[in-house]
Amino acid sequence: MPMHPSTFIGIDIGGTFTDFVVYRPSDGALRTFKLLSTPHDPAEAVLRGLERIAAEGWGPIERITHGSTVATNALLERKGARTALVTTRGFADVLQIGRQNRPELYDFSADPPPPLAPAELRFEVDERVSAGGQVLQALAPAQVDALLAELRRQGVESVAVCLLFSFLHPEHERSIAEKLRAAGLLVSASCEILPEYREYERSSTTAVNAYVSPVLERYLARLAEALQAPQGQGQAGPLLRVMQSNGGVIGVEEARRNGVRCILSGPAGGVVGAQYLAGLALAEGDRPLEQGPNLITFDMGGTSTDVSLVAGQAQVTGEAQVGGCPIRIPLLDIHTIGAGGGSIARLDPGGALRVGPHSAGADPGPACYGRGELPTVTDANLALGRLAAEYFLGGEMPLHPQRAFQALERLGQPLGLPAFQAALGVVAVANAHMERALRLISVERGHDPRGFTLLSFGGAGGLHAAELARRLGIPAVLVPPLASTLSAFGMLAAEVVKDYTQTVMLPGDTPQAEIAARLEPLVQRAAAELRAEGIPGEQVRLEPALDMRYRGQSYELSVPFGPGLLEDFHQAHERAYGYTRRGVPASDLEIVNLRLRASGSLPRPALTRQPQAGRDPRAALLEHRPVVLPCGESARLPFYRGEALQPGNRLDGPAMLVRADTSVWIGPGDRARVDAYGNLLIEVAR
Amino acid sequence: MNAPNADPVQLEIFKHLFAAIAEEMGVVLRKASFSPNIKERRDFSCALFDAGGQMVAQAAHIPVHLGSMPLSVAAAVQAFPDLGPGDMVALNDPFRGGTHLPDITLVSPVFIPEPPPRLCGYVANRAHHADVGGMSPGSMPIARQVFQEGLIIPPVRLLRAGEVDQGLLDLILANVRTPQERLGDLWAQIAANRRGEERLLALAARYGDQTVGQYMQALLAYTERMTRGMLAGLPAGQYRFQDFLDDDGVSDAPVPIQVCLTIQGEQAVVDFTGTAPQQKGGVNAVYAITLSAVYYVLRCLLGLDVPNNAGCLAPIQVIAPPGSLVNALPPAAVAGGNVETSQRIVDVLLGALAQAGAGRVPAASQGTMNNLTIGGYDPQRGGAFAYYETIGGGMGARPTADGPSALHSHMTNTLNTPVEALEYAYPLRVLCYQVRRGSGGRGRYRGGDGIRRDLQTLVEAEVTLLSERRKLAPYGLDGGEPGQPGQNLLLRDGQEQPLPGKGSFELQAGDILSIRTPGGGGLGEPVESSKPDSSGAAA
Repeated sequence: MPMHPSTFIGIDIGGTFTDFVVYRPSDGALRTFKLLSTPHDPAEAVLRGLERIAAEGWGPIERITHGSTVATNALLERKGARTALVTTRGFADVLQIGRQNRPELYDFSADPPPPLAPAELRFEVDERVSAGGQVLQALAPAQVDALLAELRRQGVESVAVCLLFSFLHPEHERSIAEKLRAAGLLVSASCEILPEYREYERSSTTAVNAYVSPVLERYLARLAEALQAPQGQGQAGPLLRVMQSNGGVIGVEEARRNGVRCILSGPAGGVVGAQYLAGLALAEGDRPLEQGPNLITFDMGGTSTDVSLVAGQAQVTGEAQVGGCPIRIPLLDIHTIGAGGGSIARLDPGGALRVGPHSAGADPGPACYGRGELPTVTDANLALGRLAAEYFLGGEMPLHPQRAFQALERLGQPLGLPAFQAALGVVAVANAHMERALRLISVERGHDPRGFTLLSFGGAGGLHAAELARRLGIPAVLVPPLASTLSAFGMLAAEVVKDYTQTVMLPGDTPQAEIAARLEPLVQRAAAELRAEGIPGEQVRLEPALDMRYRGQSYELSVPFGPGLLEDFHQAHERAYGYTRRGVPASDLEIVNLRLRASGSLPRPALTRQPQAGRDPRAALLEHRPVVLPCGESARLPFYRGEALQPGNRLDGPAMLVRADTSVWIGPGDRARVDAYGNLLIEVAR
Repeated sequence: MNAPNADPVQLEIFKHLFAAIAEEMGVVLRKASFSPNIKERRDFSCALFDAGGQMVAQAAHIPVHLGSMPLSVAAAVQAFPDLGPGDMVALNDPFRGGTHLPDITLVSPVFIPEPPPRLCGYVANRAHHADVGGMSPGSMPIARQVFQEGLIIPPVRLLRAGEVDQGLLDLILANVRTPQERLGDLWAQIAANRRGEERLLALAARYGDQTVGQYMQALLAYTERMTRGMLAGLPAGQYRFQDFLDDDGVSDAPVPIQVCLTIQGEQAVVDFTGTAPQQKGGVNAVYAITLSAVYYVLRCLLGLDVPNNAGCLAPIQVIAPPGSLVNALPPAAVAGGNVETSQRIVDVLLGALAQAGAGRVPAASQGTMNNLTIGGYDPQRGGAFAYYETIGGGMGARPTADGPSALHSHMTNTLNTPVEALEYAYPLRVLCYQVRRGSGGRGRYRGGDGIRRDLQTLVEAEVTLLSERRKLAPYGLDGGEPGQPGQNLLLRDGQEQPLPGKGSFELQAGDILSIRTPGGGGLGEPVESSKPDSSGAAA
């Protein structure tokens, strides 16, 4: 940690709000605030927030880490760079054809997403490498000159290069990349972005990188320039870092070249923040957790809900798809469903009560916001008395309970149900959506939810978390005090993480020494790149792993590289699929990819434990109000102001807790307490 | 159908619960299987059934399996009325619950374990195996009788009380070209059913098996109501349409398929009387296929988010004369009924619906799956190989948009095998894989373009082609032009020679096979200055 007082800032740029978390290690001061986002120029809100921080006199800023939707939005809205693709002769259309499957089975009107590089910007070169890595046709340098001229003529901003089998023989791609780069073009080479087999997925990932990186670059350049200016006086500005989708941060220089790694960085920040807070909260006394926490994160917002699982470590996937484009780099495995507080409820012609996929969004918003007429999940919660209109968003946003009630009355009418019954139904169906998502990431992937804690953040989650935990057998719910700015906090808690991969296709009986030798180039590269990020060699943590399968399969399971490799693989296979082929010779196993995760710690916010006050929460009691319980009966329940609760306070359910950023339902029989960090921990009754 | 009083909230919740079971089975099968056909191309389906064998939920995988899986369950139950806990029935016999031989289906009864065991439902999955023996590698030959097409598995009890019948398994494996791969795939299929069984039991434990059974019925009734509502919205009347298969692969004559669709209020009759009799070549469709095609078309008209279950067919009467092309009887050869004839059945159904002025159906899509099988001996890897692939093409133009290019249409949605996976596994090399530009029919809206895929064999091999729309083009609608028919070519020693749509051929090392798939039909009169294809054609 530096000797002079310095400040760290985490920023998460979302669609609606840009969140700031400011932290000063010298005195532990921590502050969060939100500003409205400025989608036309995301840097504007960031700079406005930084001005506010400067005005508040936090002192010199050492580090700014931020997650941004800049790359994501460029992809989703198809507003990226004018991108060309260079392929092996005969394969320019791979990016368009994809896997030749249509997006919807039963919908004639569904179209596949347009390729990021249109046909007129897809170019072929004569060259070919075999599946064994031999050059069948060498790349003639002259064609690259012709290619360069054509790219210039077309006014291309960014170029993706993806040749067949380049993960076995990268030289052709490299020589193209070198020549184009020397001419000043921005080039994404697939052998650098994703040296793994399956040409479509590799092309797509590389094309996404080429498509979003220039947009990210422009944004980062604008930010960096603005940050330099006020500091002036020859002094270096704060160190800018960018959150990646794998839950780690990288420097700006890296981010500019690897835009694809920054897609979905906001949600990743939430998971990292959750993991860090829970690690502290769930530790026994002062002893930190040895394995890291077992968590299921639940971020329910207005239009969508993100869930993910942390089993000691956050789970990583290589199978993401964003805006219709497969992205095969390691990402935190975050599952998103299109249901949230704003999801609209309706009765369909077959007589089922549906919630979503349509959302009232921010405009018109739920009926209770005063403009819309259609009932949403938020309206249902309000009609059940579980949202206190006058405290919503700290009282800044007036709600209209009568409108919510009327909307639900209309929903229930054809069924002969009173409004409150309809509201209970809406909540039950919304919970069914959430439950399916939570089961998908836990039970269906071999994790027993009974060994996990449900960590709820996002504005809408607190009202649903306890009931969901009950349905899944999850014993406890944790609601952190930073429920609505957890992603920005996560940016501060993240480590530097870089993932490396290489397809090798080795037999399972390959000697360990040879595997280690194959890993060595990745290790060298990792060491150099982490050094460039300011992590000294001895502090770099390396986690090598192998993607393995039985020969003939084509989905791999990742196992840590070590002496027990083969047995670890058999066990992983048994866990995942319920059977193994333990008897087969080692040569019938296949090592498909080498993986290396290199990480290095950065100073994290050291949260301080607050002294315990008494158990009695009555100082925070606002009033008693009628609430409809899940069983359908009504009762007068205590409402507490979350901000006024003290560490050590205990609340017995049924009770409600209201905070400026969220409301929390504590069910009948549930017992909650406030811990030394201000987290609310709910022990869920069975 | 007897609809119990269903709570609208519980109805919605169970819809998700049942669908999740079928989907999770699919994930297990895909990830644990061995043949590229299942894991890469996803040529499989998983489904959940009630205790009466009615399909309650099917994961959205392959439409051609839609109507046919329930017949598998029925055949399994008929063969073994005494099925008990832990039993699993395997079958592929097209005339007893199957469709064509490569599709092997596993059916498991699910019993509540507490004594006495009570039947709670069934789970089943079907996967297309890359080889099940028979006269040519890949088991998609141009045969005269089903016996030539491969090993016929009538419903057999592959597992009894959880134990595999080793003798039976050995018999199956001894009759296929790639037994290790088959074994791996069968284990993956068993694992998928076990997962489905586990999940259904968990549901029964949580809600009670009576409630689960009750909502299975409620969901069938729900889909039926939705289907009836959709039919009532179509103009009543009789609509006829006829289209042809190029040939049956044995003779050269086109083979007519005829349909008369009668829509009357909330019901419909689909009558295939007038369709050709079953053929000598392997293009015959068993009844299950025809039912699947009807189901698929209805499902598309229904829209998204309606559960895939038996309720969809309840208001429909399907008349398919026994012994005809669309209801073949033993010992007809059937390999192509599933993959080719099914597409033409969809074409005639959509053609009839277009007459009904439904205003929402597209012109004809490529109308084939372009089945390509290459097999032989691979000296380098030291073993036999059997590679099977289907290739996408153009989709028909739609009433308000061009047809998409280079995709699978209608009855299949299998993925391609990545070039880098294919060349790693087989002695083959892909020379090009591209959009066949200009092959879509012109029109106010253009048909989508087909695909060109050129493959070189590096060893001597036997290839079987089972493709359609090589002579008779996919039709346009409302004055739109037809799409271009497909082409199969052989390039040997620099000479190009055309190959027929269906047949088996010996290839020499170095031969190149060029498959060019059909474009989709156009819709509406072409406008004079035809706008350039949006997906573009850069020379």
